[in-house]
Amino acid sequence: MPARFSLLFPAALVAMVLAAVAGVLWGTADIGWADRLAILSRSEEAPRGLSLIVWQWRIPRVLAVGLIGAGLSLAGALMQTALRNPMADPYLMGLSSGASAAAVAAIIWLPAAVTDRLGVPLIAFLGAAAAFALTMGLSQRRGQPMDPLIVVLAGVAVSLMFQSLTAFFLYIGDPHATRNAMGWLMGTAAGTEWQEVPLLAVAVVALGLVFLTQANALDATLLGEERAQALGIRTARLRAMIFVATVLLTGLAVAVAGIVGFVGLIVPHMARLLVGARHRVLLPITMVLGATVLIAVDLMCRVLLAPEELPLGVLLALFAAPPFIIILRGLRRAV
Amino acid sequence: MPSEFALEIDNLTVEIAGAAYVRDVSLAVPEGQIHGLLGPNGAGKTTLLRSLYRAVAPTAGQIRAQGRAIGDHAHHEWARKLGALVQSAGLLDGLTPRDIVEIGLSVLELPHGEFDRRRQDALELAGLADKQDQPAGKLSGGELQRCYFAQLLACDPEIYVLDEPTNHLDLHYQLALLDEVRRRGRTVLMTMHDLNLAVRYCDHVYLMAGGRIVEHGRPLEVLNRQNLMTHYLVDGQFHGNVLSITGPIHQQSQRRRA
Repeated sequence: MPARFSLLFPAALVAMVLAAVAGVLWGTADIGWADRLAILSRSEEAPRGLSLIVWQWRIPRVLAVGLIGAGLSLAGALMQTALRNPMADPYLMGLSSGASAAAVAAIIWLPAAVTDRLGVPLIAFLGAAAAFALTMGLSQRRGQPMDPLIVVLAGVAVSLMFQSLTAFFLYIGDPHATRNAMGWLMGTAAGTEWQEVPLLAVAVVALGLVFLTQANALDATLLGEERAQALGIRTARLRAMIFVATVLLTGLAVAVAGIVGFVGLIVPHMARLLVGARHRVLLPITMVLGATVLIAVDLMCRVLLAPEELPLGVLLALFAAPPFIIILRGLRRAV
Repeated sequence: MPSEFALEIDNLTVEIAGAAYVRDVSLAVPEGQIHGLLGPNGAGKTTLLRSLYRAVAPTAGQIRAQGRAIGDHAHHEWARKLGALVQSAGLLDGLTPRDIVEIGLSVLELPHGEFDRRRQDALELAGLADKQDQPAGKLSGGELQRCYFAQLLACDPEIYVLDEPTNHLDLHYQLALLDEVRRRGRTVLMTMHDLNLAVRYCDHVYLMAGGRIVEHGRPLEVLNRQNLMTHYLVDGQFHGNVLSITGPIHQQSQRRRA
């Protein structure tokens, strides 16, 4: 396994860098190669307008999308482990929709001073936390193990509720939002600004490292609650850490790009197929693959119908449908 | 203070959501002995074991290993001393038998030099050496039980806590793996439904009912005809080390007991 990882991890890193470079070079605006080079080398001869597009729009956007992909994939992998549920994912469990509804409501109704003070990420975090609590509450059956399918159904119900709330808020409100309704409901990284990148970067990298130090405990968690406890793992504490991290990552992602679905579900499964389920190899691969996938899909969203842009959610759902069905069919009922 | 007992339980009571599953249980296992918890379903055997590997906190009472209280140990320190084979549902996608054994060794941070040897020895004892790289999710129930048994044998704690260790195992591995545990001379507390195996392996047994120990002693003394009738609702007796059963006793006596 480590041998495989030592080949695949560098390969995934290269793919991520290539995707990022492509994401910067291509987009809705058609820029010639000479200009591209001039712009990237910050030459005096670079056209100012195009230079602005690359440096102010594309680069922060690619960085943000990469971090969101890595963060949501990390969140998905951690949730799947904590709940021992292959269908666990920030989107399917309603966290993204909760975060989105809270952010939209705050932007529309709260005075700008309050929203600015608290910050959209914090409000989105609270929305994600509320949705998560609701999903978990609906999935609990007293004295019975949580059925993976019931968790997914509860998540879908919570998700639908918050998405209709978001649509309702957007319909009756007058959104002076930085993004349009489509963005909040279907995800888009259009309009990402540099100032949104640092918080995301710190959170995603720091949480990635924190959970890498917990790799053994996470591995033990996969074997079952009681087995992990018998190995000396404080499972309740680890689970609480995972839930806070997941809600945080989802809130941050939604604050920047709205609802980005399925990455957190599909990418960890791809990673498990490649390197197995041991977290010291699974988490790094998951994060790099998540970044690569989302940067590539975002690029497709920009170029497929250029100069129009597709919402991220449309292409993601399209790509995610077949693996989603495979995972669903492999799901075992809780015993 | 050092104790002659490897594992001691004093006046242990465990309540979950207000209901008492274990009531005022005391027992002590001397170093190197195998003790068995017997009794019908719902007698409190598994709950008692769960409190030993810290899955539930006792409501009252004391648990000590080599004279030192459970609460004076950090969780990982306790787990290195007392290892458990338990029933629990996992998510095994992407794991192999080799991973399962390694996870136990890594979590307990056992000396790295011995890591590979311990893993291979354990996998071989459990008859899984040739399946060590296959997907764990595709193993049969018995093979999976052998994986977890191998994990425990690799970790080789001073005290083994075994909850129905022969679950899903075929006869060969029931005997092979329990023989290995006995050969190692570790201190063992286990639950066991198979009374023949209990008689074969246990130095001492506790018969539990309704969360209490109702009788204890040498297996053949405890498993007399009267106790089999009262607690297991069967008419049977041991001839030598073999239980012969005439059949279940009638529902009427069950009602009388209730």
